[in-house]
Amino acid sequence: MSSVPLPFERRSPLKIVVWAVPIGALLILLPRIITPYQTILLTYGLAMAIAVLGFNLLLGYTGLLSFGHSAYFGVGAYTVAFMVKYLHVNSMELFVLGAIAASVLVTFLFGFVCVRYTKIFFSILTLALSQVLWSLAFKFFNVTGGTDGLRVPTPKLLGIVSGEKEDKILFLAHDYYYYVLAVFAICVAVMWLIVHSPFGKALQAIRDNEVRARFVGIQIRRYRLVAFLVSGVFTGIAGALWVPLNGLTTPDILYWPFSGEIVFMAVLGGFRNFTGPIVGAVVFNYLKTSAVGFTVYWQGLLGIVLVFLVMVLPTGIVGSLRLLWAHARRRLSQ
Amino acid sequence: MSSRPTRRDFLSQLGVTAAAGAAVGGSAVGLIGAGIAQAQEKPKGTIPSTPFKIGHMTFFTGAGAVLGEPMYKGNLLAAEEINAQGGLLGKRKIEILKADEAAGTDANTKEMRRLKLSEKIDMFMGITSSGNTPALGPVAEELKLLTIFVDGCTDFLFDKAVPNPRYVFRITNIQSADGSTCALAVAATWPQIKTYAHIHPDYSYGRNCFDHFSIVTKKMLPNAKSVSESWPKLFATDFTPHITKTLAAKPDLLVTSLWGGDYVAFYKQALQQGLFGKMKVATTLALGSVPQSIGKDHPEGVLTGVHSNYHFTYPAGNRWPLNKTFVEKYHAKFNEYPNFQAEGAYTATYVLKTAIEKANKLVGGWPDDDAIIGQIEGMMFPGPGGYVYFRPDNHQGYKDAITGFSKNVAEYPFPILDPHRIITIPIRNITAPPGWPKGEPTSTYTWIDQTWPVVKA
Amino acid sequence: MDILVVHLFNALLYASVLFLIAGGLSLIYGVMRIVNLAHGNLFAFGAFLTASAVGQWFAGSNSALLYLLLPIGAFGAAAIGAVLEPTLLRPFYRRPEEYQLLVTFGLMMILEDLIRFIWGPYPISATVLFSKMGSAKIGDFVYPRYNLLVIAVGGLAALFLWAFIYRTKFGVVLRATSQDMRRAAALGVNVNLVYVQAFTIGCFMAGLAGAIIVPSQSAVLGMGVDALVLSFIVVVTGGLGSLEGALVGALIVGTVREIGISMFPEIELAVLYLIAAIVLIFRPAGLFGKTA
Repeated sequence: MSSVPLPFERRSPLKIVVWAVPIGALLILLPRIITPYQTILLTYGLAMAIAVLGFNLLLGYTGLLSFGHSAYFGVGAYTVAFMVKYLHVNSMELFVLGAIAASVLVTFLFGFVCVRYTKIFFSILTLALSQVLWSLAFKFFNVTGGTDGLRVPTPKLLGIVSGEKEDKILFLAHDYYYYVLAVFAICVAVMWLIVHSPFGKALQAIRDNEVRARFVGIQIRRYRLVAFLVSGVFTGIAGALWVPLNGLTTPDILYWPFSGEIVFMAVLGGFRNFTGPIVGAVVFNYLKTSAVGFTVYWQGLLGIVLVFLVMVLPTGIVGSLRLLWAHARRRLSQ
Repeated sequence: MSSRPTRRDFLSQLGVTAAAGAAVGGSAVGLIGAGIAQAQEKPKGTIPSTPFKIGHMTFFTGAGAVLGEPMYKGNLLAAEEINAQGGLLGKRKIEILKADEAAGTDANTKEMRRLKLSEKIDMFMGITSSGNTPALGPVAEELKLLTIFVDGCTDFLFDKAVPNPRYVFRITNIQSADGSTCALAVAATWPQIKTYAHIHPDYSYGRNCFDHFSIVTKKMLPNAKSVSESWPKLFATDFTPHITKTLAAKPDLLVTSLWGGDYVAFYKQALQQGLFGKMKVATTLALGSVPQSIGKDHPEGVLTGVHSNYHFTYPAGNRWPLNKTFVEKYHAKFNEYPNFQAEGAYTATYVLKTAIEKANKLVGGWPDDDAIIGQIEGMMFPGPGGYVYFRPDNHQGYKDAITGFSKNVAEYPFPILDPHRIITIPIRNITAPPGWPKGEPTSTYTWIDQTWPVVKA
Repeated sequence: MDILVVHLFNALLYASVLFLIAGGLSLIYGVMRIVNLAHGNLFAFGAFLTASAVGQWFAGSNSALLYLLLPIGAFGAAAIGAVLEPTLLRPFYRRPEEYQLLVTFGLMMILEDLIRFIWGPYPISATVLFSKMGSAKIGDFVYPRYNLLVIAVGGLAALFLWAFIYRTKFGVVLRATSQDMRRAAALGVNVNLVYVQAFTIGCFMAGLAGAIIVPSQSAVLGMGVDALVLSFIVVVTGGLGSLEGALVGALIVGTVREIGISMFPEIELAVLYLIAAIVLIFRPAGLFGKTA
């Protein structure tokens, strides 16, 4: 996006703590307050938040809109399923490592091809490549289970906590929630470091003015590729976390409208902020679930929300809140 | 070394009968009070009066809706009849919460959890797609949610996904029956064919029909072979290239498991390419999905399957009054004729009611899930389509498999099964028995492969 | 030998429909630089409208009337396009390109449910015309005459479009606007009008595709999403923004699909995506496009 570039606010470490600690505490205490069902829903949201966080490295920071991120999510999920099916692995840690490895491979392949182009062509290319994966998952049903998908039973966490013994609902709502929360926290921290590093600054420079960045000596394609890699890996991790929640992976998560949902989440939260994608993912999760339960026309409802967002609140929830806050502060100080 | 039986002998060993159903439109003898709904005895103990919530998930939109919506209607009809008498055990009225299966497998999993944990449903019913039962079965078990799947008949559910079901039952015939019934009917009717072609939708149902048709035909028609395969995407609308490919291979027979809107598009396109005149056609589900969607331009004498489960014209007339009253009531309420989904959901609701009543008689009060489950296991229940038996080991419902040939009659504006050529097969003879180890692709497949003889041609 | 003719007709049939949809998509992109993700649902809208007109509202009428009603889907889709462009799309021309993708994505979802709201959840068919036209003999085989009609319509549309764009004054204006919008505006072209006209024509084409194909198939929810991906493959292969590209791309896709189904039934779906991906990797603008 090369129009008026909004600088990412520099936050002093103190400010971060002021925000992060209460939210972190809330997230830790939540399962004791809300029902198991709500906790499971939140777990879905946290997993998706990791995916959108990764996605936004490309969109918000590098200015590349990928419409094919479902591919990496699916790669993560299917890798876990394959590890169950062929290697009889049950450890969540191995699942995550496997997902990372597979995502690196696929993202590198796809990214190498895609980062040569920008704007519309980039988006279309990512879409087309993700569809290739989708059709392969569909057709190689012997391996992937086709439309039936592959089952993923409850994994073992940290080698000690096994989901098999207890009630699965309680397992998901407690042990698994905390596990996902921990991974989420680590991912947020890592992404924070990335975007505030010189690498992250270089990405923003590329986004704002490619020509100038090149003149300064930044190797555009290489940086974009690395951003693509990181972005894909985050999304792959999210896929790996998501699949034990669901119990099953199907080609649906490789289908392009799912990529659209990821984009939706980023836009909903606001892709010009660090926290926007996180908020967007969690809110979208609740939005979609309640829309589905509320009306049979939930797709149209979500469509209306998206159009409204893009027309009226292009900076998303977090962006708009920031603007409101800045407005209010100015008012107060007058 | 046992000698190989002849085809005719083996078919009769299996119990494949071409039964002549009663003539269509039998005399309307007054059947007062016939039907499953009968006057209730007073229940034992205290019964709560809170509504009994059933979560019903099926296709309400899209191409699958032709199959799904009737399922809900069957459930609804039964629920209304029961509620008219005060509800379950005379006190608890049934309340149905709808959910759309078309949302996708992942969304369906979330929705089932939401229905149980948030809406607190007492029971789950429904599911059309074979892609969804293996996904939802395990979730139902982990939620400890009493479930009767009405379709989603894939063998995979109890073979692999939920091999030791506790809370999950399924009432419609197991999927492998479709391909087997079709193949046996072909062997009984057209034993002279030498080549055949396949057109199946590219998903688990299509593959299951392909597998079982192939293995049974290998045994029953050892000299016949497949000359062409086509795998159109499910809910595709253009079958022209697949029809052309089939025509080019010049087979004696075409076997297809296309259903619903797919089958309608297919037969219209195939008619215009002259396919029906060039080969015999056998289907597993042509008349089963929506009886009135097939027009009278559909050729007669096509082996038109009904998912091995049910066609509203059979049993006909007064021979099995339960069917007659069911069809009349369903038609009066919905202005259409019930398909096997409707019959399955209707019967499933009454199975639930009966199980609750029997459990109440034994222990009094409102029976818990374990008691209800105990009653359903081993139950032999008379429904409109015939007796259905719930095997205790795999919680699968078994009723006689049925198929037949298309025929146009004056009474109905659409083709029905030719009442003089109905074929029925006791399902226990064509599906894997209890104790048979689980196999690939299905236990029934390995059982047929290993225990059936190759007949003498 | 005759079977090859039948195969050829099948490929052309598919290509005709694809060309109409993809051509519309390409035209819109060429003039306005918008990738309309809702384009597939305009195809669906056209199909549903025609299906209900021919199959339900006027069912049983005189065939001549039914034939006349056939294109109603195209006009309906065009009407929607004419309304959508000024209201929902125009505000985004000044915004970055990606916002346009997002708004058309939202539009796609809205249209999908709009169709469901108007026509209900069940498929609708209008096979009466398909059956009425009967079949023609091709050697040993018979082939539906209606399919030949569709192929003819596709071919005529290509011809008409070409003439329109390259031989009329309006076509010149259209091309000028697509090549350099600012200069055209400076020369006095009413760009807003040109935009809405181009968009309407694109939607008309998509709706026509739906209208013309529905008698031989049926209108089913979800057909728009499937059609969009296929038309994407076509424009990606042929080149975004180029009508020749849409034509060539449609022919390639139609042929590959026919060959795939006949000879490699298992990979029918994947082959198409693979081709698109390969073309994109080596020539991201497609065979006839320009990486503008």
